[in-house]
Amino acid sequence: MERFAAQGLSRSVDDRVLFRDVSLYLEPGQTLVVTGPSGSGKTLLLRGLAGLAPLDAGLLTLGGRGPEEIGWQQWRRRVLFVGQDPPVHPGTPQEFWARIQALAVDCRPLGDPLAIAQGWALPRSTWARPWSELSGGERQRAALATALAADPDVLLLDEPTSALDEGATGAVEESLRGRTSVWITHDTGQAARAGEQRLQLGGAS
Amino acid sequence: MSGPIELAPWQIGAAAALVLVNGGLSIWLKLGLERTLAVASVRSVVQLALLGVVLEPVFAAENPWLVGAICLAMVGLASRAAAQRSSRGFPGMTRSTLLALLLSAGSTAVLGTAAILQVDPWWEPRYLIPMLGMILGNGLTGISLGLDRCLQQLDEHRDRVDAILAFGASPAEAARPVVAEALRAGMIPILNSMSVVGLVTIPGMMTGQILGGTPPLQAAAYQMLILFLIAAATGLGALVSIQLAVRAVFDDAGRLRPERISGPTRA
Repeated sequence: MERFAAQGLSRSVDDRVLFRDVSLYLEPGQTLVVTGPSGSGKTLLLRGLAGLAPLDAGLLTLGGRGPEEIGWQQWRRRVLFVGQDPPVHPGTPQEFWARIQALAVDCRPLGDPLAIAQGWALPRSTWARPWSELSGGERQRAALATALAADPDVLLLDEPTSALDEGATGAVEESLRGRTSVWITHDTGQAARAGEQRLQLGGAS
Repeated sequence: MSGPIELAPWQIGAAAALVLVNGGLSIWLKLGLERTLAVASVRSVVQLALLGVVLEPVFAAENPWLVGAICLAMVGLASRAAAQRSSRGFPGMTRSTLLALLLSAGSTAVLGTAAILQVDPWWEPRYLIPMLGMILGNGLTGISLGLDRCLQQLDEHRDRVDAILAFGASPAEAARPVVAEALRAGMIPILNSMSVVGLVTIPGMMTGQILGGTPPLQAAAYQMLILFLIAAATGLGALVSIQLAVRAVFDDAGRLRPERISGPTRA
């Protein structure tokens, strides 16, 4: 696991500045919590860090190397973004996992997402049910377990427990402890529990 | 068996008179269709007459450059129509459909005349131009349906594409389900017509040949040939245009850029 850094990130959408000159540094194992009002660009910041959305300016590095050097596909795999409302894919979570296993990108050995999610009260049988029949909380746990099983250097999590009850939230937080990660959360309790660092976005500026 | 019956203008007029019945019905039932009906009737007379007038000297001239120019114009018009029929677009769309139709319709039509019918010379306009026309007409439908589905899926389900990109998928890997579904959408019309042809419908080309005096079995054989050429061209054209669309909406870093898709959701 390596040091994750971002310097001078900026992004505007239609002449509206969402964030300007944002920098962050994460030593291995550290967690940063991003807060800010809705529409302040938190999700776009995470997607920018993940290499899923373009940034207007800024430098990203992992262990001192940028995404161009590492390769964008590799970068996204190592700096892995999980959205707040995981998509309803066709097929089942198991089939989605099979697609991930079949990807050509170089990567670490994969873990077992079913075992991970079992610790969050998501039974193995859920993985064989279609995404379209899963609840928001089930989808969220399946997507998160899939991401954890890929063992990325950095996890970028957009409200990872927004659809989970207290028990499952606690279990997820426990599994994520010690992972280099950036979280968006509206839950102040969670922010206090998870974050060594804080980043406040937006406001009226 | 008698040869084709030469049609005189009064016979066309008699057929057109039947459309007047529709016009009368439209007026009687206040459907408001009579103007459209009149315009469409006049258009079909003018356009088809023009086609006949243009084709006569082209067939007679036997000039390969002239045939080439007409074929290129046909491909150009068809590619514009294919791009316009899709409800969503992307930068360079007309260029992509042009390339797709040149590759697919162009190669299958030439293959049809040169290698299968073995017409000599292979560009003999009496064969090449109608064949290309049939292939283009169907190919452009396949391409526009395929592109429409492809862009719609990438636009509406960008979250699915992003979710697999996040795991390090290449654009091709991430778009694979979309490409497969779009290709299926593009092929469905021709597959449907291949499975009901002769049972429910007698295709226009075969009808024309039979009326023109060709023995039915021979007309059926021609129809098979043209159907297979159309199916091949439609599949190839849809595949090429869909791949070009996918290339256009992903950027150099392999990110999906849905803002490059223009269309109903972002007028």
